[in-house]
Amino acid sequence: MSRTASGFRAWILQRISAAWLGLFVLATLGYFLLSPPATFEQWRAFVAHPVVGTLILVTVAVVLLHAWVGIRDVLIDYVPPLALRLTLLSLFGLGFVACGLWALQVILLASGLA
Amino acid sequence: MKFQVYRFNPETDAKPYLQEFDVIVERGMMLRDALMEIKRQDESFAFRHSCGEGVCGSDGVNVNGSNRLACITPLSEYQGDLVIRPFPGRPVIRDLVVDMTQFYAHYKEVNPWLMRKDALPEQEILQSPEERDRLDGLYECILCGCCSTSCPSFWWNPSKFRGPQALLTAWRFLADSRDQATDQRLDDLEGPYKLYRCHTIMNCVQACPKGLNPTKAIGHIRSLMLKNSI
Repeated sequence: MSRTASGFRAWILQRISAAWLGLFVLATLGYFLLSPPATFEQWRAFVAHPVVGTLILVTVAVVLLHAWVGIRDVLIDYVPPLALRLTLLSLFGLGFVACGLWALQVILLASGLA
Repeated sequence: MKFQVYRFNPETDAKPYLQEFDVIVERGMMLRDALMEIKRQDESFAFRHSCGEGVCGSDGVNVNGSNRLACITPLSEYQGDLVIRPFPGRPVIRDLVVDMTQFYAHYKEVNPWLMRKDALPEQEILQSPEERDRLDGLYECILCGCCSTSCPSFWWNPSKFRGPQALLTAWRFLADSRDQATDQRLDDLEGPYKLYRCHTIMNCVQACPKGLNPTKAIGHIRSLMLKNSI
């Protein structure tokens, strides 16, 4: 994150991502209450739908962004030693990227694109 | 009434300790009166105080875990023993006297004065009653330090986070119709530390003896940043 993105932008990103996640959770809950997929094949077809797959991927990216700002806040507050903080930030960053790639792989596999 | 008072003289004591004092409480007595009685009992006891009526902001102390201004804290509010400590997170000079240098440095950093780009007029700069009303709840701060020293974010990052007092002051000048340095003030607060270490814990609101709301002021600064960035 650049220096200019470090204060205000991080804060607003967290707010906007929180709003997105809130809406996504409500929409998903609503959908599952009305027509829950019953079998594996139905689940797969649900996820393979281009709109649903895209929405899930966007939401995964938003979750990771939200988590990144949050974990960065926690580390800034609780881990003053710079080397340790940098190490932990890098580990979390790598973990988040791995989670994102994994989610991408899942969606691509379900869609038959990989 | 029994008082457990924090004692520490760096010249003679290896570490701080609590000393018990017994004070006969009379009706209408404030905590400051009790501290002065303790001072009469033991002249070596040190604490700051001056005006005695909640104006100078000198006698902020920690009472049973909460920061209070001793001169306007009635003892009738309390039952049982009182534990009196110095403000948390500040270096202790002696007993209840703490070093507030860093707190004042943060205050200075937010430029607590009107900044004008236009030349100053010959007469005073007029405000409408509505513009003046915006300063209510902001200008009353007496810099006692109860808020900033009760803020966990200020304990964690005391050298970088401005703290609730300085941020309340920053908003006091941002909200002032006569000030012309909005962009500079907002730019000065950019970055992860100075403003954004506030996690709306709101200890500051609970601690302020003047009933001010620094958390709300911080929210206003963030909204203004948002407004100015889109």
